[in-house]
Amino acid sequence: MGKVFISLVIAFIVCGGALVYQATRGTSSLVLSPSEVLSKGASRDLKRIRVGGRVVDPITYQTEPQMVLSFRVKNPTGGEEVVPVVYKGLKPDMFAAGRDVLIDGDYMGGSIQAAKLQTQCPSKYEPVVPGAAPAEGGQPAQMNGAAQMIGQ
Amino acid sequence: MIEFGQFALCIAWMLSVGVVIGGAYVGSGARALPSRLESLRRGTLLIAATLGLALVALGYAFVTNDYTVQYVWQYSNRDMPWIYKITAIWGGMDGSMLLWCFLVALFAACVALRSLVYPRALVAWLFSFLSSSTLFFTSITLFLTNPFRYLKSPVAMPDGNGLNPLLQNEYMAIHPPMLYLGFTGLAVPYAFCMAALASGQMSNDWIRLTRRWTLIGWTFLTAGIVLGGHWAYLELGWGGFWAWDPVENASFLPWLTATAFLHSVMVQERKGMLKIWNVFLIVLTYALTVFGTFLTRSGIVQSVHAFASTDIGWTFLVYLSAIVLGALGLSIYRRAELKPDRAIESFFSREAVFLLNNLVLLSICFAVLWGVMFPVFSEAVTGVKQTVGIPFFNAVNVPLFLALILLMGVGPSIAWKRSSLPQLLRSFAIPFLLAFVVAVALVFAGIVEFYPVLAYAISFFGLMTILGEMNRGLAAQKSITNASTWSPSNVATLWRRQRIKYGAHVIHFGVLLMTVAITASMAHKIEREFTLGPGERFEIGRFSLELNEFHEERQANYDGIQAHVTLRALTDEKPLAVLAPELRFYRKNKETTTEVALRMGQREDVYLVLAGIDETGTKASMKIFINPLQVWLWYGAVIMVLGGVIVAIPAPRGARVRDSQTTKVAQSV
Repeated sequence: MGKVFISLVIAFIVCGGALVYQATRGTSSLVLSPSEVLSKGASRDLKRIRVGGRVVDPITYQTEPQMVLSFRVKNPTGGEEVVPVVYKGLKPDMFAAGRDVLIDGDYMGGSIQAAKLQTQCPSKYEPVVPGAAPAEGGQPAQMNGAAQMIGQ
Repeated sequence: MIEFGQFALCIAWMLSVGVVIGGAYVGSGARALPSRLESLRRGTLLIAATLGLALVALGYAFVTNDYTVQYVWQYSNRDMPWIYKITAIWGGMDGSMLLWCFLVALFAACVALRSLVYPRALVAWLFSFLSSSTLFFTSITLFLTNPFRYLKSPVAMPDGNGLNPLLQNEYMAIHPPMLYLGFTGLAVPYAFCMAALASGQMSNDWIRLTRRWTLIGWTFLTAGIVLGGHWAYLELGWGGFWAWDPVENASFLPWLTATAFLHSVMVQERKGMLKIWNVFLIVLTYALTVFGTFLTRSGIVQSVHAFASTDIGWTFLVYLSAIVLGALGLSIYRRAELKPDRAIESFFSREAVFLLNNLVLLSICFAVLWGVMFPVFSEAVTGVKQTVGIPFFNAVNVPLFLALILLMGVGPSIAWKRSSLPQLLRSFAIPFLLAFVVAVALVFAGIVEFYPVLAYAISFFGLMTILGEMNRGLAAQKSITNASTWSPSNVATLWRRQRIKYGAHVIHFGVLLMTVAITASMAHKIEREFTLGPGERFEIGRFSLELNEFHEERQANYDGIQAHVTLRALTDEKPLAVLAPELRFYRKNKETTTEVALRMGQREDVYLVLAGIDETGTKASMKIFINPLQVWLWYGAVIMVLGGVIVAIPAPRGARVRDSQTTKVAQSV
């Protein structure tokens, strides 16, 4: 191995490592389940958290004067504890009760103030087979076409 | 028909076992007789044929609504247009794995068709390693994720469950196959590398042969990644195209290492350096394609974009271990042949710049991998699970990418071995000064953010070095062609003679366009939310929007409601376009989705999303994004892919002879 090769590799390991370390320190969030949010957030606010949860009713979506989506999430694996979530922004596609979501934000004053909300992506969509139990929380009742969408 | 598919899959699996073992047996001794190689070749072709038949059988089940098949029932219904019944083949994990098998086998078959011109000692091992990849994925498909299973239901199902509405999109027909073609295409250079190590054929032949295959895989992967971004941009309604999601990252990781390999391979070809480095890169690239599949199917990281978690993850870990240990063992065994012919002499040489380029690409790869796996690492080390998101990826990758773009400008114009100061000044002084002028002009124009100014200036520097390098080539050539420097005939002759070099410049030019577009669309984006009643107007940027009416539609698989919105320039009452953002309700799935209305423009995209309609049915709430220069991102990507095609396709035989004669004449002048 030449000196040029070795010195370039070492320089990159040091600089790249420092860059990654600095960025990780400055941007990482705590990953919590809804029940962990409730237990850890009982006595203090939680800054920069990511919560994976299953949406449960009631869901309210107000579009005037600002888009605000309010709902609750629970542990996808079960349990009855729910955490309220407030998201100021456009309701993502496929958002519905029973759907798993990822929420990034802060837990303050008893609810998650979401800065980012993502519904599970299509490729994760795994339909149930006949006879299997429906997802907890269920799907909204079928309504008729356009009537379903007016009032959103 | 479904039994036929299962039968074909079984035959493909048995043939794969035969070719893997047969290839290793023939390759491991002096047994590479033409008749044996021909058997291996036919076996490889047959594997592709049988897997193709299995795929056709599954497609037939979809098209004929055969809901006795569980996979068809899960991902299809009668109302779906036939095209989505075809694309539903890869709508779920089982079918996507079958497609993967077929595409690996297809690449192996393409190699088999070309194999008569390859060194005989290499070919047997080549078939063996190619088929080992097919064997792994066929085993998973056959034993763990078989799409040819009957539905366990006490009653016949009259209709299927249906494909996820977001996947009922024309991009579904092209994005996953392109991505999979990229992933599976990169199995070919891996197989070449391992065959070279196993057979001891360590001359630069395998490198020369591999380069084109890598480029083919790389081009497909590039197209697949960008198509995914374009699809997300058009469909998901958040105004962006890349979210650094683990699954997006999984496709990006092998792209980075394959790009690094495409550069470092030139150093080995020209200078006999970086041999072990190239082995490392190509094995890493293939391992990362497998790792990406593992990531999306194991549930190891939380992603909004992964397949449902399954228990097949361990098989990928076993296979990954085999890939890494196999490569490591063979590299140690062949360490004498992997020693470089010479060392890099100077920092100011093309080989040093290419090495730097490799290190930057690997740093990005490492940073992305770190970001993806950080939840797993943090939990394992501290017991507390943490994650990083878009801010992390931007903080690390923006400076690294800008360094890469800078190196992209420097690399092709710096001399091999060592560059003198006059040479460096001649190549880079003017581009540097012009880029500096651009930066100052941007600041005076009001763009004062550091990274955008730097990105535009570096991109301009890159463009100037390409043009400068081309100018020098044209000037040198005009003594032969007797044409003026920039005359079309002189340019055409130069490009024909140095097709690969200028094909690479085309790719670089595409990258520069993309850099400018990404910078502009991220740094100068405007987004607003607003509500309009009929006849009301909203102004944003240089546009106004007016709500006209609502329009309801009923299609086979969904009901839709559109808001018709007239877009005008503030300075003109004449309508520029009528935008129709839409809400759709898919009856079968009971899902509501948004359909974006987009007006693409050379200056900016107007991107409109219908968020909702009030209870009275008269007011529409919408979100608008103005994305400057967005369309140039897609143009840049098309140019990149075009450059990849230019470099990858072999020159016509006649042209090669003619060009070699022209080159000899040029050298003698």
